Parts: sequence; structure tokens; C-alpha cells
Amino acid sequence: MSDEAATSDGALAQLAGIWKPRGNEARVMAGTAIVLALFPFVFSRMPVVSGFLQGYQSLATLILVWGIFALGFDLLLGYTGLLSFGHAAFWGGAAYAAGVFSQYVSGSPILMVLAGTTFAVLLAWFLGFLSLRRGGIYFAILTLAFAQMLFYMSSSPLAFITGGENGFTGVETAELFGIFALESELPLFPLEMLLGTWLYVFVAAIALLCIALGYRILNSPYGMVFRAIRENEQRAEFVGLNVWRYRLMSFIISGFFAGVAGSLFVIHGTYVPLSSLYWTASGEVVIMTVLGGTGSLFGPLIGAGIYLYVENIVSGFDTIGPFWHLILGVVFVVTIWVFPRGIWGFVRDVRDRVTGGDD
Amino acid sequence: MSFHIEAITVLLNGLQQGAIYILLAVGLSIILGTLKFVNFAHGALYLIGTYAGLLIALEVNLTSGLLQEWGYGQLGLGLGYIPALIIVPFVVFVVGLAMERWVVEPFKDRPDTDQILVTFGLAIVVQEVFRTFFGSSSLPFSQPSWAEGAPQVPFLAQIPISSWRYYVIVITAVLVAIVYLLVEYTDFGLIVRAGTRDPEMVELLGIRLSRPYIIVFGIGAALAGVAGVVGGPLNPVNPTIGNDILVPAFLTVVIGGVGSIAGATLGGVLFGLTYAILVATFSSWAQVGLYAIAAVVLLVRPQGLLGEEGVAP
Repeated sequence: MSDEAATSDGALAQLAGIWKPRGNEARVMAGTAIVLALFPFVFSRMPVVSGFLQGYQSLATLILVWGIFALGFDLLLGYTGLLSFGHAAFWGGAAYAAGVFSQYVSGSPILMVLAGTTFAVLLAWFLGFLSLRRGGIYFAILTLAFAQMLFYMSSSPLAFITGGENGFTGVETAELFGIFALESELPLFPLEMLLGTWLYVFVAAIALLCIALGYRILNSPYGMVFRAIRENEQRAEFVGLNVWRYRLMSFIISGFFAGVAGSLFVIHGTYVPLSSLYWTASGEVVIMTVLGGTGSLFGPLIGAGIYLYVENIVSGFDTIGPFWHLILGVVFVVTIWVFPRGIWGFVRDVRDRVTGGDD
Repeated sequence: MSFHIEAITVLLNGLQQGAIYILLAVGLSIILGTLKFVNFAHGALYLIGTYAGLLIALEVNLTSGLLQEWGYGQLGLGLGYIPALIIVPFVVFVVGLAMERWVVEPFKDRPDTDQILVTFGLAIVVQEVFRTFFGSSSLPFSQPSWAEGAPQVPFLAQIPISSWRYYVIVITAVLVAIVYLLVEYTDFGLIVRAGTRDPEMVELLGIRLSRPYIIVFGIGAALAGVAGVVGGPLNPVNPTIGNDILVPAFLTVVIGGVGSIAGATLGGVLFGLTYAILVATFSSWAQVGLYAIAAVVLLVRPQGLLGEEGVAP
């Protein structure tokens, strides 16, 4: 009897132990939470600053959505060293799955995210299994090919579900927990000022969880293996690691993040454009990740912010607005050429130079 | 229209579609096979070829873009198609040389992913430069009047296919044959092939490889340019055509086998025919079919149909 109680106590303690922050985690997460809480205010409502930035609430939400996508992409590119050109499959696939789910089953945002993510993970498992048979450039081309196949599938043979060229328009999002309409503003004064809508709260909470998950994975022995594979595949194999399995797992984890982001994208836009499956969507996440900095947790989020800022705000400027895509392309090429580790890497280099540290 | 006429029409359409893929794939394939360089900007070379061809062959009225705003709405030399076919390959050849010198060379020792990323970025830059100057709306690039109808040859006259498509097939066949002979039967080709196997050894023998390599890249680029000129009049011309055709071209290379000219040709024919047959039968599956074939080939024969095990990167 007492033994049983002890073991169940042990199990409970173990379960609690999983959730207990380790090392720097609590500090990093608290910092992230503060930034996420202040971001929409500074970006779209703070006097002077927001006037200068010209940001708006909905863009703040969108930046977090793409940020989650880019974060997951970086787990694959920056840590395991695999360049996928087919992540649109998971992003768009999850978006369609969540959208269709909302129409036929339930519009609960949480269930929609679960449905979309499940679809993306299963798809990533399947496509990863097929694409990871070849490394290097073949991987890039195979992922690209499979994603394009999905694009053409949903553009005509599956148009009766997906809406074909018009995209999926039947999204019906319900209230969060059956109470809070996502588009409505928060009730209390400072909260409404800070965070704006329930939608942002929902997306930001999930983003925080995703960042915590990413941080946990990368600082675990498991994440260490990803890095080992990137650095030297052969040595990783020699010390007895099953490289193929770790690669597949990192592909699936990355698909998971893309799935979460894709589902949130539908909830945010209440519409799935067909172009969310086209390979330009994969290209966009590649650009965001590399621009922000591969191999870092926060770089891709910054990259997503910059990309979407240029796409949505700078494109409205009279002078350089029409050239926004060209500017992004040039900046991207320069980044790869000169700072392959992106903005985050550049900032770290400068910081190390100044402080003389080698953290 | 009787069945056999219809079948021949489909086959010829397929061959023509395949010919464009082949022109792009042969270039991509020899570049990938010899220089070990992944060129995601190959579609951009096709784009340059198409616009250069259009501006040399015809006079165009731009409806948007910077050039139109600056008062150069009427552009083009209007020299006709034959001069375009002769001049464009040289123009794109030079672009290719420049690219080899200033992009490929600095990225030779960087990882594959960096090569893909930088050329992907360049592809976007080129596309956006064209969009900025020539506008994003489609430009008319009609087939030449002397090649519009069916050819006046006894049997072919019954088949509703413009002579231009035959020219595309013939031009492709001739060019691919020339490149094949060049690589297989000349001293230049011998050096290139030796360099593919063991670049260090070739250089130890006192042969400088940088020159053959830059020329290989130029030839690949020129073929993409030709593809742009001959393929341009068959589709609407706008800045995204380059990146749209890149994916099927890459798949052609991969299913044919990297570095193999015969493989790229076989892959292109297979793709073109599949596409044409599916368009004529289950048209909504046509695009999906291409990717399905590619997936099946790669899963069954990862090195490609005619590829050699171990040579590819």
C-alpha cells in the first residue's frame, strides 16, 4: 500500500519534473513572455513609436504565426543541416486540414490547431520517410517535388474539398473555450491596451509554448545529436547514432511546428489561399530563417518579423514600396554571401567582439 | 479527327514540351555533374533568354513597369526570330560566364545548402528586376507568322500543330546532339569528363580546369537561353516563368541521372509525353502525374534512370 503510494508519488514527481524549468529556461521564457506581451502595444498602439513603425494589430499576430513556422524550419536547417524546399506542404496542408476540420467537425480554435498539426505531423512522417533517402541537394529537390505535387493535387483533382484556385473559403472559427470571440478585444483596460484581441493572446500563448518547446529540444541531449549530425554525419554514425532516424525525427518536429503555424494562419485569416502550398511559401520561410539567422532560436522570429514588415508596411511606401520584393531578394543574397549566420549571428558576433566573451 | 491523328498530335505536343525541359535539364545536368554546383538560378537564365528573345525579335508595348513610366513604353529591335535565335545564346552565354566567375567560384567551397540558397536568392532578384522594369503583366510573344500553321508537308499537314513546335523539337535535337558530341568526342570533353572523375589528378597533370568549367557553365546557360527563345512564344511571357519552369527542369535532371546528357533527354521525353497524354485524358491530374512519376523513379532508382551510382554528389 505504502509502496504503491510511493511509486505514484514518484510518478507524479517525475511528471512535475518534466515541466520544471531547467538551467536558463525560466529566465529566457520570462523574457520572451514580456516581449510577446509588449510587442503588439509597441508595434501598433504606443504613441510616437507605433506612428513611426506604422504597425497594426493583425500584422503583429501574423508575425508570430510565421515566426513559429520559421522557428520550426530552423530546427531542421540550422541544427540538423537539412535544407527543405517543401515546407509549404506542412504549412498549407495544416491550413487546409484545420480549415476543413472547422467546417465539418468543430470550429474550436484549439481543436483546429490539433487537427491541422496532426495532419502536418503525419504528412511530415510520410514525406520525410520518402525524401530522406537521399541527402544534400536531392533532399531539397525531393521535398520541393512532393510539396508541388500537393499543390497541384489541391489545385484541381481535390478541388471539390479545397476549393481549387479560389482557395478554401468555408472556414468557421468558433469562440475560444466557447466564450471568447477571437476578434473581440480584451475586457480590462491595461490588457486591451497591451495585447489587443483574444486572437493575439491565443497565438502568443501558443508561440510561447512553441519557443519553450524549441528551447527544451535544442538544449537537450536530443538536440545535441542534431548538431552533431550537422557537423559531421559520419562521426555521428561512428559513435553509434542512427543518423537516419534522428534526421527523420527532426524533419517531423519541424513539420509539427509548421503545422501549428499553418493552423494558426487559417484561424488568423479565416481563409486558405491556394498559394499557401506553392513553393514560394517554402521559399519565404527559407528567406525568413536565413535572414534572421540559422542555428539560433530567436533569429528566425526576427527574420519573420522583418520579412512581413517589409512585405506589408514598406511595400506601402511611395518611394521604395514597389521594390520591396527586390530589396528583400538583394538583402537575402547579401546575407548569405557575407553573414551566413544571419542577423542574429551578426549581432552575436558584434556582442562577442565588444564584450570579448565567447559565449 | 481520327484516332491516329489525335494520338500523333498528343505525342508531338509531348515531344515539344519535353524539348523545353531537355534544353534546361541538359544545361543543369552538365553543370551539376562537372562543377558540382546546384544552380537554382537556371530558371532565371531561361527568363533572361525569353525577354532577350522577345526584345530582339519583336517590338513590344509595355503596359506597366519602370521603363514604361520613364517613357520607353515601346521597346524592341524587331529584327525577327532568326536573329533572336542566333544572338540570344551568345548573350546568355556571356551572362553564364559572368555568373560562373562571380557566383559559382566564390561558392565552390561552401556547403551545398549555401549554393542552393544564394542561387535561389539570385533567381528572386532577377525575377524582381524584370518585374520592376518590364511590369508584371504578361507580354505578347506570338509565334512567327511563317511558323504558325501546320507545315505544308504531305502527311504533317493534317496534324493541327504549328510548325514552330516542330522547329522547337528539331532545334533541341540538334543542340543536344552537338553538346553530346562535344562532351564525348572532343579533347575539351575529355578534360571535362576527367575533371568530373578526379579534378585533383587532372590539375596535377598540368591541365587548368577553371577554363573548361567556365565554358561548361556558359554552354549550360546558353542552352537555357535557347529554351527561353523557343519556349517563349508557346506560353504567356511574364517575370515568373523562370521560377515556374525551374522545378520540372530540376526533376528532369534528377530522374534522368545527374551528369548524363542521355538521361536528361530521356527524362525530358518521359515528362513531356506523360504530361501531354494526361492533358488529353485526365487533364486535372496532368501536373500531379509529373511529380508522381518523378517520385516513383527516385524511390525505385535513386540515382536516376541513366545515372551512375556514386558519381552524383
